[in-house]
Parts: sequence; C-alpha cells; structure tokens
Amino acid sequence: MTPEQLVSYVDATSAALGLRLRADHRPGVVRFFGLAAEFAALVEAVPLGPHDEPAVNFTPVTPREKEA
Amino acid sequence: MSIAALLQKDASAMAAAVQSKAVSAVALVQASLDRIEATNARVNAFTDVVRERALRRAAQIDASLFSDRGARTRELPLLGVPFAVKSLFDIAGLPTLAGSKIERESPPARSDAELVRRLENAGAVLVGALNMDEYAYGFTTENSHVGAAHNPHDLSRIAGGSSGGSGAAVAAGQVPLALGSDTNGSIRVPASLCGVFGLKPTFGRLPRTGSYPFVSSLDHLGPFARSVRDLALAYDLMQGPEAPGLRDNGCAQREAELATPALSRGLQGLRIGVLGGYFRERAQPEALTAVDAVAQALGASQTVELPMVEAGRAAAFLITNSEGAALHLPDLRTRAHDFEPLSRDRFLAGALLPAAWIARAQRVRRLYAEQVARLFERYDVLLAAATPCAATPIGAEWFEINGQRLPVRPSMGVLTQPISCIGLPVCAVPVWGAHPDLPIGVQVIAAPWREDIVLRVAAALESAGVAQAPVAAL
Repeated sequence: MTPEQLVSYVDATSAALGLRLRADHRPGVVRFFGLAAEFAALVEAVPLGPHDEPAVNFTPVTPREKEA
Repeated sequence: MSIAALLQKDASAMAAAVQSKAVSAVALVQASLDRIEATNARVNAFTDVVRERALRRAAQIDASLFSDRGARTRELPLLGVPFAVKSLFDIAGLPTLAGSKIERESPPARSDAELVRRLENAGAVLVGALNMDEYAYGFTTENSHVGAAHNPHDLSRIAGGSSGGSGAAVAAGQVPLALGSDTNGSIRVPASLCGVFGLKPTFGRLPRTGSYPFVSSLDHLGPFARSVRDLALAYDLMQGPEAPGLRDNGCAQREAELATPALSRGLQGLRIGVLGGYFRERAQPEALTAVDAVAQALGASQTVELPMVEAGRAAAFLITNSEGAALHLPDLRTRAHDFEPLSRDRFLAGALLPAAWIARAQRVRRLYAEQVARLFERYDVLLAAATPCAATPIGAEWFEINGQRLPVRPSMGVLTQPISCIGLPVCAVPVWGAHPDLPIGVQVIAAPWREDIVLRVAAALESAGVAQAPVAAL
C-alpha cells in the first residue's frame, strides 16, 4: 500500500467502525497499520491451497443434561 | 538457617523448612512481605499486596500442622511458600486490572483464578499481584499508569514484559515463585532479562479460567522460579483437567503428565539442534554467546532452520493485533485516551485490519505448525536465544541488531513470537557471563506436550552450572 492508501484506508475503516481517531493518535495509528501491512505481505506470500485449513477449530457445545 | 537466608533459597527448600517445623508459615510469609516492603519502591514489581489474606492463610497452615490433620498438611508440596501473580489473574476481592487504568472501575473478582486455587491447594500462599504491560500488550513493562518494573540486577533497566513484575519479583527474592502469561513471549522475555527460569507450556495445557484474556488464540499461562525443580513442581501442580462447569475452551483438558520425575534423566537419547538463520540474524553478540554456551554444554553442534519462521511470526503479529484490539473495541471507541499511551495506537490500528489478513494468518499458522512438526521428527530439542540482547535501559526507544535499527518495545519478542505462535513448550533458562553484568535467557524448545523434555534439559543445564538464577543484590 502507498502512504496515501494507508491514510485513506485508516480514515475510511475507522469511520465505518465508529472509531473516532484523535489528531494526536492518528499518525501513530497510520504507522502501526503500515507495520501490520508489512506483516500481511509476508503472510500473503505463502502459497496456500483450498485445503490448507485455519488453525482455529470450533467445538460444538453440548447442552447440559436435563435434571430428572 | 536464618529466615533471611531461607528467603534466598528456592520454594522447595522453603516448603521443606515449613514441613519440618524449622520455620512457621507465618514467619516465612512475613519475611516475604518484609522483603517486598523493603525493596518494592525500587523494583516496582508488586501493584497490590494482600497482606491480611496471606497472613491469615499462613496462620491456618500453622494451626493445621499442629492439629490432627497435621500429617496430611505436612505432605503439601508448597507448604507455606509465598507466591504472586501477574495482575491479570483473578484475586477474590480485588478488581482484575491487567495493568490497566480502565479496569480499576471493574467490580472485584468473586473468586481466585483456577491456577491460584491449584497452587494454594498445594499449600502455597498468595501475597499479591504484579506489574505488567497494559492488557499484556508489550515486552518491557514500562507501565505509564503505575510506573515501570525495574530490573533487580540493574535498576536502571527494564524487567522485560509483559509479565515484568513476575520476573522482577522472583529475581528480587520477594517471592520464589510467580505466575505470568505468554502470548508472544511475555514469560520468556522477562525471564531472560531478569535472569530467572520461566516455563511457557504447550498451548492448551494449563487452564486460563479466571484470567483476563489478551488474545485467546495465543494466550498461555505459566510459572517463573529460581530453580528448575520449583518450575517443574509448580507446573505439575497446575496441570490436569478442570471440573465440569465454567471451563477454558482453549484448554485441552488433558490428564496431568508429570515432568518432575523426568528431571534426573539427563540428556541421553536427546537429539538437539541449534536454530540458525532468522534466530542468529536477530541476536546481538551476548545472545549468540549464551546460545553457544548452552549448545556446547549439551553437545549440540547441528544448526537447523525453522521452516516458514518469518511468515509464522507475521501471522502471530496480525492475529495478536486484530484479536487483541477487537476485545477492547468498545473502550477504544469511547475512551482511547485512557489506554496506555505506549500501546494505544497499536491497539487502534489493530481494530482496522482486514478480515482477509486474519483468516489467512490463521491458515498460515496451521501450515507453519505442520512444517515444524516435521522438523521434530529429526530433533527432540531446539535452542534459540530468548531475547535479542540483555536488558535495555528504561525509556530506550531503539536498539540495533546486526546493523538494523529497530524499535525496542515490539522487537524484544522477535525471537519468542514465532515459537508461541504454534504453541510449542519452552523453558527459558538464564545464562550469566555472556554479557559483562547482566543475564540473558536461552529458549529450550520441544514438540507439543513435551514439557518433560524442556524441563529435563533445563535441569541438566542447571546441574552443570550453565544456567542459574541467583537473587539480585538489592
């Protein structure tokens, strides 16, 4: 992402989430979002197939037995 | 032995002194409280001391020892031993602060965290709550709300984080045993910088019930101690499935697999490799010297690469950033100014990460875990430095590693984050002599559920004098 894209993205998504960024917070948020984007590029570069599953598993919740 | 001399010993020696009635539990707990009072203004490890509760509990132990239940009480393995917990563990009657200002408004916890209960059931006595990075998001414990935790071996330096109070309290001889949490390195980093032993068990081993979460997908709990036998003992006492009812969904609820019996088995049959590449490129000379000293003591000469390590670290960063921020989104919307200034902007940015990045990060994490599992078909143990360097000065913003200038606060966990990402058990062992004045830790890493191996290797290193955790001269 270009520096301009980073700023546009941060402004648009913070507004969409109802996250009002103060003027003194915004530069740091843009900087850290840029850092995350660098890490995202490393993750995007890993070839994955449709059967590469996520690390998170869901366990269905069994209802407690009814009392007699 | 005087009570002051006993306080320099490990938890097992303290319990033995109480069991033999050489010292009372009240005297031992009082000595710990006195040590905290004498040193905490300089170390700032404790943020709450539960003096009345601790002395009441110690008095109950002493009364029980002299009652008709005395024989059973005497068998409790941590009898009368004072311990403390990172301030994200529930302590009945106190709000669970997790190092924050915001949670001061929370109601007091109604009961103790599961692991606090388990240690107290073994005779230990809780004496207080410990300093940490706010909501566990940091590696330095420079907490702006209550002040930084100071490294007991050099008070001008950081204790590491996020469980900085836990590492500092044990190194300062305030308590022989403490609990912390580790999402990306928060047990191993302070253990390394404060020169104590720290165990991050396998992900899902110890129940997190009654602790304030940071990143449920990655959070682990574990002990700090000044001896390997204490670390193994505390770990063994905290293992096992939870009773039906309110349980940690991230806990595998496995039956206890005791590590203590393995401690004396030595190194025979273990295939040990030294992690190269990523891990050596991000380490300063003292970290490399410490790893080499450990490798030499263990007879390990093969250097191996951890596959996909950079992508794995990246996945851990993204999952942490997004999941941690999402947890606090309501407060980030309405009162961002009340968050720790040193991590607030990182939290805010994390709330904005695209879902596609996180979904992919979780898939990369799985692939990475599978590839590393193949490496463990050839090795039982892998070694790497726990931190890129020894403790940095409090307030330092940058350090240099291999000619690259990096921010200290997010980078101190660069060597631990790829390991916890896939939940491997690690014992951080403290090494002296690699740096002129300060300790630095080495990670002893094994395949999932093999805490017995990492503790066995740590015990061998301790016996050989390669790893040790002396109380700081304060």
